Amino acid sequence: MFNPERCDGVSRRDLLRVGGLSALGLGLGDYFRLQRLSGAENSPAAKAKACILVWLDGGPSHIETFDPKPESPAEVRGPLKTVATKLPGVRFSEDLARTAGLIDKLAVIRSMTSTLGEHNFGTHYLMTGYKPTPVVEYPAFGATLAHVRGQAGVLPANIAVPDFGIGGSQLTGNGYLPGSTRPFSVGGKSDRRGFKVRDLDFYRGLDLARLDRRRKFVGALDKFSRAKDASAGSTSDPDLERAYKLIASPEAKRAFDFSDEPEKVRALYGDQRNSIGQACLLARRLVERGVPFVTVNSKGWDTHQDLYSRMKERYPGDKWALLPSLDFALSGLISDLSDRGMLDDTLVVVMGEFGRTPKLNANGGRDHWPRAFSVVMAGAGVPGGQVIGQSDSLGESPKDRPVTPADLAATIYTLLGINPKLMLHTGDGRPVRVAPDGSRVISELIA
Amino acid sequence: MKMAERTIKTGWPVLLAMALTALTCPAGFAGEAGPSTPAGRVDFANDLIPVFTKAGCNAAACHGAAIGRGGFKLSLYGGNPAADYEAIVRQVEGRRVNLARPEESLIVLKPTKQIAHRGGRRLIDGKEGAELLLRWIRQGAGLISSRSLDRVEISPGRHVAEKPGASIELRATAFFSDGSKQDVTRWTVFTAEDPSAVEIDSESAAAKMLRRGRQIVIARYLDRVTPIELIVPLSGSKPDLSAEPRRGFIDRKILDALSTLRLAPSPGADDATFLRRVTLDLSGRLPTVAAARAFLARADPKKRRTEIDRLLASEEFSEYWTLRLAKLLRIHSGADGELVRSGQGARKYHQWLHQQVRDNTGYDELARTVILATGDSHLVGPANFYRTVKGPRKQAEFMSEVFMGSRLRCANCHNHPLDRWTQDDYHGLAAIFARIESGQLVKVKASGEVIHPRTLERALQRIPGEDFLGADLVDGRGKLASWLTDPGNPYFARAIVNRLWKAMMGRGLVEPVDDFRATNPPTHLALLSSLADDFVKNGYDLRHTLRTIALSAAYSRSSKASEENKSDGSFYSHALRQELEPEVLADAISDVLGVAGSYGEEPKGTRAVTLVDPKTRSVALDILGRCSREESCESPAGSTGGLQRKLHFFNGALLNARIAAPGGRLDKMIKAGQLPLSIVEQFYLAALGRYPKNAESAFWKEQIGENIPADRHRELLEDFVWSLLVCNEFVSNH
Repeated sequence: MFNPERCDGVSRRDLLRVGGLSALGLGLGDYFRLQRLSGAENSPAAKAKACILVWLDGGPSHIETFDPKPESPAEVRGPLKTVATKLPGVRFSEDLARTAGLIDKLAVIRSMTSTLGEHNFGTHYLMTGYKPTPVVEYPAFGATLAHVRGQAGVLPANIAVPDFGIGGSQLTGNGYLPGSTRPFSVGGKSDRRGFKVRDLDFYRGLDLARLDRRRKFVGALDKFSRAKDASAGSTSDPDLERAYKLIASPEAKRAFDFSDEPEKVRALYGDQRNSIGQACLLARRLVERGVPFVTVNSKGWDTHQDLYSRMKERYPGDKWALLPSLDFALSGLISDLSDRGMLDDTLVVVMGEFGRTPKLNANGGRDHWPRAFSVVMAGAGVPGGQVIGQSDSLGESPKDRPVTPADLAATIYTLLGINPKLMLHTGDGRPVRVAPDGSRVISELIA
Repeated sequence: MKMAERTIKTGWPVLLAMALTALTCPAGFAGEAGPSTPAGRVDFANDLIPVFTKAGCNAAACHGAAIGRGGFKLSLYGGNPAADYEAIVRQVEGRRVNLARPEESLIVLKPTKQIAHRGGRRLIDGKEGAELLLRWIRQGAGLISSRSLDRVEISPGRHVAEKPGASIELRATAFFSDGSKQDVTRWTVFTAEDPSAVEIDSESAAAKMLRRGRQIVIARYLDRVTPIELIVPLSGSKPDLSAEPRRGFIDRKILDALSTLRLAPSPGADDATFLRRVTLDLSGRLPTVAAARAFLARADPKKRRTEIDRLLASEEFSEYWTLRLAKLLRIHSGADGELVRSGQGARKYHQWLHQQVRDNTGYDELARTVILATGDSHLVGPANFYRTVKGPRKQAEFMSEVFMGSRLRCANCHNHPLDRWTQDDYHGLAAIFARIESGQLVKVKASGEVIHPRTLERALQRIPGEDFLGADLVDGRGKLASWLTDPGNPYFARAIVNRLWKAMMGRGLVEPVDDFRATNPPTHLALLSSLADDFVKNGYDLRHTLRTIALSAAYSRSSKASEENKSDGSFYSHALRQELEPEVLADAISDVLGVAGSYGEEPKGTRAVTLVDPKTRSVALDILGRCSREESCESPAGSTGGLQRKLHFFNGALLNARIAAPGGRLDKMIKAGQLPLSIVEQFYLAALGRYPKNAESAFWKEQIGENIPADRHRELLEDFVWSLLVCNEFVSNH
C-alpha cells in the first residue's frame, strides 16, 4: 500500500506547493507559519482599536497612484511623472510625493487581484471580502466591527464621511446585521469651521429642553399605547434615544467642530478646500473620541476620461484635484496619527473597488481593470516600508503573490482583533463566516 | 472455484453479445436488476449516486460546485448521473477507477481518506457506502440501470408530539419505474431548518424535537426534496376555540393550526383600531376625523362590512393599489443603464395600470397583456414591462419573481440547489425574452438568443419546469402567457394571493414572497391552496380576495399579544404590526398636519402615493426610505437607517416646518380659539383614529391643561403634535 504522507505529516500535494513557495524565498518554516495564519488562530498581537478606511470610489488607477510604470511605453505610462521613495526601485506617482516620503510607515500591496469589474460587485467584494450573491448581502467591515464591539459612547460606532454612497450606492453597509450597525452618514459639506452635520443643530425655535420634552411625550404615548400588549418590549424607542443623546452631547458635536484644532495640524491636511483632507481630519477626531470605524468616501476616481485634469490639475493653478488632495490627506493623516501616538492603535486602509486599464483609452482615460490593482495599509502594527507582491511590467496582472479581496478581508479583520472564522447570524438564524472560507491572512502585514 | 465448473458457452451469438456489451460499458453485463443486496448488482445511478449525495460529495460546497473541486466535478445532488459516470470512469485517463485493483481506485481512496482529501473522510472504509462503491468497481463499473426513480415518499409528512424531547423516526421510500420500491432512509439527508430546535441523528434518521412550536425538516434524496412538519404544541392545555368566530375557510384553517399548536388567539380589535387598519390597508390613507367619529358612533352590526365595501369601491383604493402593483412591476422612469431618463413611458405605464385597477381587470388578463405587449413604449403602457430590467436573463429573473413568486437566479450557473429549476429552465426562459427588442419600440425580432453555458450553443426556448418550445417558434410569449394563466398553473395564483395576504396580514404564508420553493413550505398549505383556488374561480379578481381576507375574523384580531402568544409571528394568533410604507406615511403626516408635502415639480397638493417616478425629488421620501424600484421592493428596505430618520424628526424640516405652519390644522384650531384638550382630541382622531383614553386625557390635561399659562399652550401643543407623529402607534399599522 503506498504511503501517501511523509512521516512528518506533510502530504504529497502540500510538498509540491511548498516547492513552489521556495521561488518566493520562503522555506518550510514560513509555509507552516502561513498555514497557521490562514484563518486558524487569532494573532494576539493584532488588535487595533480603530480603523480609518479611505475609500477611493470609482476604482483608482494603480498606475497613476501607487504602482507607476515609468519604463513602459507611453500609452501605458500615462501623462504623469513619478517620484522615488526611500525603498530602492519603488516609485509613486509624482503627485503623491508627500505620501511617498512616509513609505517607512506604509505597506503597499501591488498584486491585488479580483474578477469583478463592475462598480457594485467590485465594491461589495472589497468592502466585505465576499463576492456578491443573491442570497444575502454581507456586512462591510465597519458594521461587523460595530456589531462585535457595540456602541460604547454617544457617537455611532460606524460612521461614513461624508456619506456611504459608494460603488453605485447599492451597498447598505450592514447587510444582514441589525440596522443600528449601518454607517451613519455625517453628510454635508465642510468649511473652515468643520463639518456641518445635518440635523445635529437645532431647528430654528427649538432647544434641548423642547427636544427633551418631545422625547418624553413620545415615551408616554408609546407606554399608553402598548399597555396590555405582552409583545411590547421596553417601550423606549432605541433610535430616538440614540438621536437625542447625540444631539444633547456637546462632546459629540465638538468632534465635528474643527475650531479647537491647531493651525499647524490643520495645515497637514491641506486647507479647507481639500475635501478628502477635511474628511480624514474628521476621521482622526472621531477615532480619538472612541469611534471604532470611519469610512472616508473620496469620490471621482472613475476616470474613464480626462485622466490628467481630473487627477492632477483641473484648471491652471488648481491645487486640489484628486491626487494632490489625496496626497495631503494621507500624509497628513498618517503623520498626525503618528505624532499623537495613535498610529499603533489605528489601522489605515486605502483602496477602491478595482484598478484601471494599463493602456490608455481613446478619451485620455482608463477603464475598469480588476485583474491587478493596489491597496495601501498603515498603522495597527503593520510593518511599514514594504511592498507586497508586484504587478507585471505593464501593470496588467499580478506577477507574483496574488492577493484576493477575501484575503484582504481576513487580514483586516485579524488586525482589528476579529477572528476571520467567527460566525455571525442572519435574521433568520443562518450562520455566516465573517471572512470567506479559504481566505488567507496576509502574513507580511501581521507583525 | 474449480475451473471446470465455470464453463462459458462460446457460441458466436454469445460472443457477439458480449462484444456489444463490452462496447457499451467498460466491463460487466447489462441487465441484472434488483436492490443492492450483497448478491445483487450495484446500480450506478440508483445505488451509488445516493451514496455520494448523502456523503455530501456532490454538494454545492464540494464537487457539485459549478467548477467542481480539485479538478473533479459532479452534478449537483446527482442531477446528471451520465455526466457523473463520465467524470468518475473516463476522465483523467480513467485513473479514478482501477478495474484491476479496485481498492486502489482514487474514487475509493479519496473519500475514505486513505490518501489526502481536502474534503475529509466522507465514507468509512468497510461500511456500507464504501462497500457498495468497491463492489461496483469489482462488478466492472457499469452504467446501465434497470429501473429509474419515479418518486420518493417521506413518512411522516407531519407529526404532532405532546412535549419537547419526543423523538420520531423518519423514513424515506423510493418508488421505481418497474413498480419496485425500496427503503432509502439511510441515503436521505434530513436537515432541520432550525438545528437548535430539532436534533437529527444521521445514523438512525430519528428527529428529536427540542422546543415547542412548528419546525420544518427538509428531506432530500438525490435531488428530490420534501418538507416535513414537526409540531410540539405551545402549551400543555388545549385552548377552547369553540367560541371563536369562523367566518369562512380562512378562519377555519387558521383556527385549525392554532388548535394544533394550542395557541390561544388574542381577542378581536376594537372599532377604532379596525377602522384605521382597514382604511390604511385598502386605501393607503388614515380615516378622516369625521369618518372616525361617525364610524365609532354608529351601532350598526354590519358597519365593518359596509366600510370594507365602501373602501373597495373608492377612488382612493384604485390610487393606492396602483402604487402597490407599480412597485411589484417596478415601474420607474428609465431602464437600467439608460442615459436619457424618459418619464413618458413610465407615465403611460402607470396610467394604464391605474385604469386596470379601476376597472377591476382580472389579474390573469393584466399579466397576459403585459407579457404579450409590443409597440411604442411611449404610447403603449404595458410595453414598458420589457424596459424594466436590462437583458433577457434579467428579464427571466424579473418575470419569474413577479409572476411565479420564484427566484430562478441560482439556476443561471447550475441546477438550483434548493429547488427544481434547472439551467435549461433558466436559459430557456431567457431565450424566450431574447426575442424581444426592448428599445423605445418594443417588438419581436427574428433573431435573438442566449448561449447556454453548458452546451455553449443557442439555448432553446422553454417554459420553466415544463417542455422546450418548438425550435421554429419565433415568439414564445404566447405559450408562456397561456401556461402562466392556466387555472392549473401552480405558481401564478399562489404568488399573487400570497402577496395580497401579506399586504393585509403582515406576513406571507410563504416568506419571502418571491421565494416559493420546495424547501420553503407555506405555514398554512391548505389555506394557500384554498385562497388561490377561490381567486381563480372568481376570475382572478383582486378585490374579491382582498374582501374575503378583510371579512375574516383572523384579519380583525387585535395586535395586542398575550403572554402565551407573544412570540408567535407566523400563525396569526394576534395581528402583526407593520411599518407604514414611506409614501403612505408621508401622506399621513401631510393629512394630519393639514399642510401638503412638496414633491419635485409636481403641482401643490400631489399625494406621494400617486407619484409615478420613484426618484421624484423629495427629502421626506428619501429619509423615510422609499424604494427606488431598480431592484425588487420586497426585500427589507435599504432605508437611511433609524438614527438618521430620528435625527431628522428632531431637527429636520419634515415635521418641524409644517407643525405650526399658518393655515395648518393646529394653527387653524388655535386661531379659532379652541381649547387645548379639544385640540388634543381632534389630533388623536386625525392621527390615531380614536379618542384619547381616560389616562391619556388626564396626562395631557396635566401637561397642557388649566394649570399651564395660556401663552405656553401653543408651544406645548406643537410638542404634543410632534410626539403624536413620531410615536409608534402613528407610524405603524397595528
